[in-house]
Amino acid sequence: MNIFRHLKAGVRELVRRDKTESELSEELSAYVQSAADAKVQAGATREEALRSARLEMGGVESVKHQVRAVGWEFGLEVFAQDVRYGLRMLLKAPLFTAVAVTTIALGIGANTAMFSLVDAILLRPLPYPEPERLIVVGTHQRGESEMSPMGTADFLAWRDRQQSFEHVAIIDGAGGSFALSGMGTPERIPGVGVSANFFSIFGVAPLKGRGFNPGEDSPGVPGVAVISENFWRDHLNSDPEVLNRTLTLNGKQHAIVGVMPAGFRFPSRRAVDIWAIHTLNPPDGRPPYGLLALGRLKPGIGVRQAEAELDQIVAQVTTQYPSSPELDGVMMPMKEWMVSDFSTALLVLLGAIALLLLIAVVNVANLLLARATARQREVAVRMALGASRKRVVRQLLTESAVLSLLGGVTGLLLAWLAVRAFLAFGPGQMPRLNEVGINSGVLLFTFVVCVGSGILFGLAPAIESSRPSLTDPLKDTNRSSSSASAHRTHRALLVFEVALALLLMIGSGLLIRSFVRLSGVSPGVETGHVITAAISLPNKYADPPKIRQFWQQFLERVQSQPGVKTAGITMSLPPNLLEITNPFTVEGQGYDRHRQLQLAEEMTVSPDYFLALGIPLLKGRFFSPSDRVEGEKDPMIVIINETMAKQYFSGKDPIGSRIQTGDPDPSAPWETIVGVVGDVKYSGLDSGPGPTIYVPYNENAWAGWAREMYLVVRSTGNATDLVPAIRTQLAGMDSAIPLAQIRTMEELLDESIVQQRFRTWLISGFAALALLLSAIGLYALISYSVSQRTREIGVRVALGAQRSNVLGMVLREGMQLLVFGLLLGLVGALSVTRIIRSLLYSTSSTDALSFIVTSLTLIAVALLACYIPARRATKVDPMVALRYE
Amino acid sequence: MPDKNTALVQGTLDMLILKTLALEPMHAHGIGLRIEQISQGVFQVNPGSLFPAFKRLERAGWVNSEWRATENNRRAKYYVLTASGRKQLKSETRDWKAQSVAIARILEA
Repeated sequence: MNIFRHLKAGVRELVRRDKTESELSEELSAYVQSAADAKVQAGATREEALRSARLEMGGVESVKHQVRAVGWEFGLEVFAQDVRYGLRMLLKAPLFTAVAVTTIALGIGANTAMFSLVDAILLRPLPYPEPERLIVVGTHQRGESEMSPMGTADFLAWRDRQQSFEHVAIIDGAGGSFALSGMGTPERIPGVGVSANFFSIFGVAPLKGRGFNPGEDSPGVPGVAVISENFWRDHLNSDPEVLNRTLTLNGKQHAIVGVMPAGFRFPSRRAVDIWAIHTLNPPDGRPPYGLLALGRLKPGIGVRQAEAELDQIVAQVTTQYPSSPELDGVMMPMKEWMVSDFSTALLVLLGAIALLLLIAVVNVANLLLARATARQREVAVRMALGASRKRVVRQLLTESAVLSLLGGVTGLLLAWLAVRAFLAFGPGQMPRLNEVGINSGVLLFTFVVCVGSGILFGLAPAIESSRPSLTDPLKDTNRSSSSASAHRTHRALLVFEVALALLLMIGSGLLIRSFVRLSGVSPGVETGHVITAAISLPNKYADPPKIRQFWQQFLERVQSQPGVKTAGITMSLPPNLLEITNPFTVEGQGYDRHRQLQLAEEMTVSPDYFLALGIPLLKGRFFSPSDRVEGEKDPMIVIINETMAKQYFSGKDPIGSRIQTGDPDPSAPWETIVGVVGDVKYSGLDSGPGPTIYVPYNENAWAGWAREMYLVVRSTGNATDLVPAIRTQLAGMDSAIPLAQIRTMEELLDESIVQQRFRTWLISGFAALALLLSAIGLYALISYSVSQRTREIGVRVALGAQRSNVLGMVLREGMQLLVFGLLLGLVGALSVTRIIRSLLYSTSSTDALSFIVTSLTLIAVALLACYIPARRATKVDPMVALRYE
Repeated sequence: MPDKNTALVQGTLDMLILKTLALEPMHAHGIGLRIEQISQGVFQVNPGSLFPAFKRLERAGWVNSEWRATENNRRAKYYVLTASGRKQLKSETRDWKAQSVAIARILEA
């Protein structure tokens, strides 16, 4: 058969329908005339002949219909007809249509927006060639599960001996930005130090110039840097001669050798504008462990195999440094490393939003059911005129598909707005946000969800209203009996809806409770009137005396400013800006290298740091400027926190006791404890208490770290007012040093829980919507039921029923649904909230208070939703109700 | 009004129409009448079956149509067998004969 000819004929017929139709009419009338002619010849009168010819023909329209039904285009026409009819019916009920479309649009819009995030962040492969071969590599102490960064010694050994990877490189974990000077006001530019093979791993071609050459990370090679397209445009005016320019980063000259296209962002939690070469100097010892290693596996090599090789190499390094702990290698696919922190939260949000859509679908289904009952007459008439049940269901389903597509298109618009808003105002610290957008995959998802929900909410009403009961609706007397089964479906859907809403509400209740607890956690400092900023000294401040001198003078200058109460500096800031942890050994503990390392948060601070942040002194003393810590022979001193004093010095006075820091080593210098201060959170508000060690900033051993410090200033008035004065003082010291990351302590606290706040808000928003939707659902059902029972209520009142009896009767119906819904929801919640356990802070996933409060809220709102129509029922006038028929 | 012989399946009607047209181009009523006469009244084809069949045959490219004047000087749509329609008729007739012989053998066995 010639498909093409059929297609052509069908299309031609669609295009010239009028002509085909008139031809068909003409042909049919010619047929009648011919038939009549034959009968006349056989002896009938003309009139009789025409009459009997017409009778033989049957219905002209019916014949035409049969002819039309031959072509494939007929299906299309029926569909178009159904769509037209559906649109007409929807336009006739504008309020219903508006409510239904808005409900669907909200549900689908929210789902599309969330899916576009999940798609970009979790589902899509990384935007590099053969991304499954990209691996992130680290080490950890034997027996631990988490991945820790590598030391230089381990990396160099691995780089030179490994056979599993095509290319390996490191990212320097410290910093995350460079001080850029020599181009107007000094500023901090987001960037990372990387080793020579970094760009070869990704296989992304530079926009201009080149990546790094092998060997450029060796000691003694002049500095080179690659910049981002954005940086090239914004800071260098897209200078075509960019490859002849140099940048002064942290006070050191770097020649620009390449520009990366805007799409390349790694590591991508924040924008990266500069990749500077990280020189791999031969290490003094095994620690510090501050390098994130990565590599591209050779084709056909598995992660396990590569990991075994790494373990071997790391073991060789361990024998090289006998005092260091036993380490193992760890590898992780790069995508997992990037997104694993976010996957639970994102999937929970997607799940919550899917529940919301389900609730919206149930509501629309109920709206349609109520409408279906009202339209029973129309359907009955159509069926009586010969429409098959299949035809009627098809028509009604087309109508709901039209409804859901209208909702979907509106929803898509909402989703687009929501995604824009999220990118602009949402928590920025998420990986791969630059890849988020509404693409063809997302559109397909929306379309499927749209059609799916259209069928979901359309099916029950369509089947319900096409039930072959022709006579009842046509009689129009006994309406309630014919809609009994519709009513049953309606009520079952509502129970389901209440249960879903409760589930969402309990989830949000748990998150809110957890969030309230989290934001109520004291960071251990006095948060008001404190301003902080990051300052890092360029490379020219190389030796300890220079660094010491700089800070001493700078702090004196700041301290003398009007409005400044106390000024101090620190390496780490609460609540989550911890730079390093360090192993320590308490005198008398011994040096078993197989023992799990005990780690302390360790930082170097100036004497006034504690006063500036209001950290209480519990025992002993603070550091003092007169502490003699400048020479090699001076005794080293430390201050520890309360938890460390309790855990390691219980029953004895820690003051005067001695500890060592670094890997366990009998020959390490001893440090004497001079004070104990209150606990401060440095690893996030949700972190548990742990040991902290403070070291004076002017200790020689810490001079390298002391080049990158946070300034902490407590003011008498508004802390932010001090910023200009601080900036002036800094410029007075050295005009090449930027004052960066200026935040008040309140802002730091806020930023540290922005993810938690955001998801709590979002889920609570969904829960509120769910509550509203199910309240509307209940209200609509009870109102509808009251209107159906007007006559019955009238009879009851006429027979002497009291208002309260009527009220009780109507409320009872609502309560039944509510109780079933609540039970179902509670059972569901008990089995489902486990999923969000990892998102909760010191809150059980079956927290009784959250369960009770949310259930009570739902009951209260539901009661109100039932009460309003129930009260209307009590106002039924028996005379009016009985006359109503 | 239903067909007198409800067993007249779709494919068969199409074949009968093709056969009728093999003699000469004809209009709808003429075709119906001819089938009725030749079958001696066994098949009465009503318009509800006839006209959809024409459309099917036209779509398949086995007949063409044109407006002509009838013997009674009325305008009517005449159906004309095409070359491929003739081929189709031949193959259908062959199949039919083979089948009816086979069926007859089975029934007489």
